[in-house]
Amino acid sequence: MPPFQGPTDQELLSVVDVSVHYGHIRALEPLSFSLRQGGLVLVLGPNGAGKTSLVKALAGAVPAHSGSVRLGGKDVTWLPAHSRVKQGICLIPEGRGTLPGLTVRDNLDLGRHAAGRARQSDSQSDLEMVLELFPPLASRLEQDCSTLSGGEMQMLAVARGLLSKPRVLLLDEPSLGLAPIPTARVYDVLDQLNSNGLAMILVEQKAVPLDRIPDTTLVLQSGRVVYRALGQRPTEAQLAELYLGGVGAAQ
Amino acid sequence: MAFLLCGTVAVAVLVGGSPYWMYNMTVVALFATAAIGLNIMLGYAGQISFTQSAFMAVGGYGSAILGTKLAVDPWLAMIFSAVLAAIGALLIGIPLLRLRGHYFGMASFALALGTPSFLLAAASLTNGPLGIAGVPPLRFAGVSFLDPIPIYLLAWGVCIGAFLVEISLLKSHVGRAWRAISTNQDVARSLGIDARKYKLLTLAIAAVMASLAGSLYVEFQQYVAPDIFDIGLIMTIYLIVYAGGRGSIAGPLVGAVFYIVVPQLIGSLEQFQHLVFSALLIAIIVLRPNGIMGRGRQYAPVERILPLWVQRRLRRDYD
Repeated sequence: MPPFQGPTDQELLSVVDVSVHYGHIRALEPLSFSLRQGGLVLVLGPNGAGKTSLVKALAGAVPAHSGSVRLGGKDVTWLPAHSRVKQGICLIPEGRGTLPGLTVRDNLDLGRHAAGRARQSDSQSDLEMVLELFPPLASRLEQDCSTLSGGEMQMLAVARGLLSKPRVLLLDEPSLGLAPIPTARVYDVLDQLNSNGLAMILVEQKAVPLDRIPDTTLVLQSGRVVYRALGQRPTEAQLAELYLGGVGAAQ
Repeated sequence: MAFLLCGTVAVAVLVGGSPYWMYNMTVVALFATAAIGLNIMLGYAGQISFTQSAFMAVGGYGSAILGTKLAVDPWLAMIFSAVLAAIGALLIGIPLLRLRGHYFGMASFALALGTPSFLLAAASLTNGPLGIAGVPPLRFAGVSFLDPIPIYLLAWGVCIGAFLVEISLLKSHVGRAWRAISTNQDVARSLGIDARKYKLLTLAIAAVMASLAGSLYVEFQQYVAPDIFDIGLIMTIYLIVYAGGRGSIAGPLVGAVFYIVVPQLIGSLEQFQHLVFSALLIAIIVLRPNGIMGRGRQYAPVERILPLWVQRRLRRDYD
């Protein structure tokens, strides 16, 4: 298990009034929340709700139209995506983002390199740790990653992300396109990592098979927060009502 | 296998001592060197670029001007031109590589188009359409590189050096980063890869290779003129990379052999020579769409016009 600083109440990531516009289209209205060390923020919403725009803005993949993002007290709002990774914000994108044509080992090496010289430690033991978390990858290290199953690709994406030594892991729909069993395997590991102190922002369309209750749950609809709860998550019935009923159901 | 074959041919030509084939194989080495640079950009970093002919002009004219007007030692002139090409690549790349995908390609095409016009316009330096003759030859320990054997060995030495640089970069983190950028630039950025920095590096490496090829060509011919670096030159380098197989290590070498040697072999066909060469080129595109040494599955477009049961038989090997 990668050594993370255990959960604390110390604020790690602070998101203040972050909005995302694509030209004249407002993908995400100003949104604020904070994430503590080892905390979990769950962002739910249907297609087009602005979930991906939110995590992309936090990762620097798209510019925030307004607001600020601070990591460990440091303003990272204007840092480009590749520099934010080195600061410890790692996005595991929708669709996994594995790189066909490269082997599993090459993909993992890219993750290890992403940590930057300052935060790299013993790369061999790090590799062993992630392979312990995801045993199916160990026997496929020299295989082209495009030959992996969907579940294995997701494991590779998470493993690669972990090797970049993240302080905050942004996961964009890790269960997308996966059967229930691989989804459960991936979530088991995410649960463990989160319990061990890795802060996460998890984006999904529907309820997630996580044992932990998120610190904050946000439900987005058309770029706006329609539900916000601390220390609880919406039930399936509430979600159905929020998705179909919209803003009126907001708490 | 391709390297072994080309190596055997290169040694056979050297042992055979035919000046005619030595000349042709020297030109193969020079074109292959410039094509390796393009292959790195196009085949690995996934960046369309038409800058190679302009950087060959930097090498060629750099060597000629420094050698004839300033009497700089030809070796130093060649090295200085390569450094100048790398600096030029950075100066062009820093603003233009902000453009993604084919927009950089379009901007670099303008550079390739403008190179001969610039060389014609800067007549006080370049002698305009007359070009520069009498470029001093390279010499080392009393050996003149005007003789076929020394220039042949030097051209192949530079070409092998370019291959070694390409292979070592591909095996390093740089190669993985190039492939990540060419596959998905957003994912590459999410892995901490500064795409612009790596593309700049690629452009500079390609520029140095092109510049060395340009310098050697001019030292070898002792003459340079603007029409050498016209749009046909970059088209030729593209043809070499595509016919040989972009994204394959041996591709530029095989493509250069195809482009230079095959027309000589079919020279006896006289007026049909170009027709047969064009037919061979079309055959490569149809049968090996990724190039002779191309990576990945070679699904030939010609299969699609065949009956489905024939296609199925043809594809059985792939499954």
